[in-house]
Amino acid sequence: MPPRTPLRVRARQMASRWAPAAPLMLLVSYCLIAPIIVLVLQAFWVNGAPSLELWGRVLGQASNQDAIVTSLGLGIASATVTLVIGSPAAWLISRMFASQRAFWMGLLNVAANFGGIGLAFSYLATLGVVGMVTLMIQALGIHFDPPRSSSVAALLMAYEYTNIPLFVLLTIPAMSILREDWWEAAQVASATRLQFWRRIGLPVLAPFLAAGWLLIFTWTIGIYGIAYGLAGQSGGTAARLITLQIGTTLQSDVITGTGQAAVLSVVLLAIAVVSLLSYRRLLRRAMRWL
Amino acid sequence: MTAVSLRGVTKQYGTVHALDNISLDIASGELLALLGPSGCGKTTLLRSVAGLVHPDSGAIEIGGRDVSGVATRERPIGMVFQSYALFPNMTVRENIAFPLSVRRRPEAEIRRRVDDLLDLVRLVPQADRYPNEISGGQAQRCALGRALAPAPDVLLLDEPLSALDALVRGRLRDEIRRVQQLVKTTALYVTHDQSEAMAIADRVAVMNHGRIEQLAVPAELYEEPSTSFAATFVGSRNAVELAVVDGRIALAEAFSVPAPVGAAERAIAFFRPEDVTVAAGPGAKGQPATVELKVYLGATTKMHLAIPVEGGTARLYADLPSRDAASIDQGAEVRIVVDPAHIRAFPVPD
Amino acid sequence: MALTALPRTLPRSRPSLGRVLLFGGLFGYFLLPMVAVVLYSFATRWTANILPDGYTLDWWISAVTDSAVREAFGTTLILATLTALLDIVLVVPAAYWSRVRNRRIRTFIEVSAAIPFALPYIVIAFGLLQFAGIVTPGIQGTFPLLLLGHTAIAFPFMYWAVDGAMSAAGIERLSEAAEACGASPYQIIRRVVLPNIVPGIVSGALLSFATSFGEFAMVQTLARGVYTIPIWSAGEIRSYSGDAGAFNRLAAVTVVSFLVLFVLSGIVVYRNRGQIVRLLPSVANSEGRPTA
Repeated sequence: MPPRTPLRVRARQMASRWAPAAPLMLLVSYCLIAPIIVLVLQAFWVNGAPSLELWGRVLGQASNQDAIVTSLGLGIASATVTLVIGSPAAWLISRMFASQRAFWMGLLNVAANFGGIGLAFSYLATLGVVGMVTLMIQALGIHFDPPRSSSVAALLMAYEYTNIPLFVLLTIPAMSILREDWWEAAQVASATRLQFWRRIGLPVLAPFLAAGWLLIFTWTIGIYGIAYGLAGQSGGTAARLITLQIGTTLQSDVITGTGQAAVLSVVLLAIAVVSLLSYRRLLRRAMRWL
Repeated sequence: MTAVSLRGVTKQYGTVHALDNISLDIASGELLALLGPSGCGKTTLLRSVAGLVHPDSGAIEIGGRDVSGVATRERPIGMVFQSYALFPNMTVRENIAFPLSVRRRPEAEIRRRVDDLLDLVRLVPQADRYPNEISGGQAQRCALGRALAPAPDVLLLDEPLSALDALVRGRLRDEIRRVQQLVKTTALYVTHDQSEAMAIADRVAVMNHGRIEQLAVPAELYEEPSTSFAATFVGSRNAVELAVVDGRIALAEAFSVPAPVGAAERAIAFFRPEDVTVAAGPGAKGQPATVELKVYLGATTKMHLAIPVEGGTARLYADLPSRDAASIDQGAEVRIVVDPAHIRAFPVPD
Repeated sequence: MALTALPRTLPRSRPSLGRVLLFGGLFGYFLLPMVAVVLYSFATRWTANILPDGYTLDWWISAVTDSAVREAFGTTLILATLTALLDIVLVVPAAYWSRVRNRRIRTFIEVSAAIPFALPYIVIAFGLLQFAGIVTPGIQGTFPLLLLGHTAIAFPFMYWAVDGAMSAAGIERLSEAAEACGASPYQIIRRVVLPNIVPGIVSGALLSFATSFGEFAMVQTLARGVYTIPIWSAGEIRSYSGDAGAFNRLAAVTVVSFLVLFVLSGIVVYRNRGQIVRLLPSVANSEGRPTA
């Protein structure tokens, strides 16, 4: 029987295996992992016992139901618009000459990073009541009322500003999977361009595009800054979103509001977990042939 | 009968002549290899026949029909790519069926034809696997089956073996030859490997700088290279540059042959290592040389020889049966002779 | 042969009408808001006209001289810089150790990097506020808590960039080679590891900086007293009641924060020389490999 390793030695081995990563792991546990646990506990725990009481109360409120429906709808709409515009754009950019591609990558990068309050204001300056485009159209003598800045339509237009670039940046690497000689081999086999896309191009890319759609959907539901900025000028008439509901309860009354915020946070958490797992599955599926 | 005919085909990329006025006839049922170093234009030539490259001028006929304005998908061709280019989302069977299904042939006919082809390329057990589940050799056989599926007039093979390791390469090369002779298809085969070209082709076209240097059957190419490039590129040869004296060139006492036509001052002599006779011992005749290095290769032994000539040292190789080489040590002083009948000499351009 | 590397047929057919419309549309869509904000920051008055009625530097001057703006800008820069630095210090050793010593670190990091990737910042912020209130009430609502929060949400960017650089440099082999040459652990890190991953560290730092720079939800939730540019801007939008100047001054501030992001992205893209920049994981590790 080998002699037992003394505790002290084992502790030192342990330290040498983990020590350099320990500070990061502490930070992550403190700022990311523990908060999730706290939220889940708060949502399912009332007066020291597990309970669904909060859920019934929060989900029973019309405003919260409204927020959940609007958020999901906005997520689906935004991700779909992004997919339709972003997929061809990503494909074409991936096949551009280096200099042209660099230009578009630069532009997309800037746009993708330009979110939050700054984007909300830019939207107001473009399509708000006194926005540039609004004024331009009116100067042409056309009667034009821009969509209310906090309406779903306005949110959609503002969100696309970062969603399309994000989607393109996300899917461009996948585009390189389609190889030039597949297209050549398809031509030699007498396939038309349409047949190539239908039988080879799209089947190969589809899981990647679906994964992109899913991420955009998830991120869109989680957007807060842009929505907060755009909701700013319309007070009570703003579109209700899950994130805004959370923010409002936090801003207004921390004591009574935490229950609602916790429940809505757990709703977002559930969406995030489901979409992350589906995302992994999709990518595994995408890689199946490669 | 001519299956493929090229007339004055020219293609330029910027200032580079990828194809320089190429004319070539491929007989029906023939396998013609395009052999040359990278950048010699052989792939461009193949891709021109496929319609994937559009020549600047010249005409290409397949089966007597001018295909210059014909899109790739309408040409009667099959093509095997260097990287296989199998469609990853389709099984072996679906890949082979693809050319037939895009032509909308009846299901039953497709199934019959694909079964025959699977049998032909010996992939019946792998028929329902995906490309990432089969080996490189199997992938290339699948690509061959796909290329042959529509019964093309000409089969184009673009370095089909270069992505495979040496052992598989030899076997698959013979496999391709077997299948090609069985289905009696005309084939154009691009390779940079001279032994592969010799082994598989009915005729070999040696290409360099967008031109065909020599077009010959393998044995002729090996024995009688017609240009200095063909001589260097085909077979491993000793090359010695020599001065022309009194209409002859000579490497001291090893050999002396008439200078080639057109050589005013200098000529280059080519001879193969196996044509160098090495002898040791007091009775030996010929040019004195030193064995610098002896490399045992199994049946033969390669000797690196150094010969003192005016102004320096000439180095050349000799291949000996290992039994004969056993008695000669590294560092030994030997005498060498080259049979003049096996020497090919070409003028050195000024 | 060598020439087959030239562009081929699949993507480059003639520029079709559809393509012109797509890229023209995208270009306009991306550019218009930027132009609008820039014009607003210089406009005297902008009534029902295509362009402003006149131009002035007044809004810029008032923005620059406004002490609230300057303070917010300073706070934002300090917060973003500290976030980037802290991420370097925390992430680089962990990433290195996960490669050369303990693969289980990697599992931990990759799972936790998914949190800020998928979970909205407002949720993380809310949870962190609650948790900090329980265990460390002393820093609840303070700048340090916010800094920790930003460091945590930006850490995946640093990790992906640094880990990518380590993978590209083959850092395990390099470390082994250096060790075989007799280098001490310190020498290995100082002379072999760091020089080879500098590009990754720089990209990661820029991305961490950018993440913190524009972040709004966490600042609003975690540190009530901390005024950053997004907080200031949101306040201006909320309190806007049509008074001349406020809108234009906000435009000037937006232009500046936009320029900062523009320069950051410019550096990241330039450093990658038109290569496809991978800001995100996901499909990044699924690059095209030859089949079979």
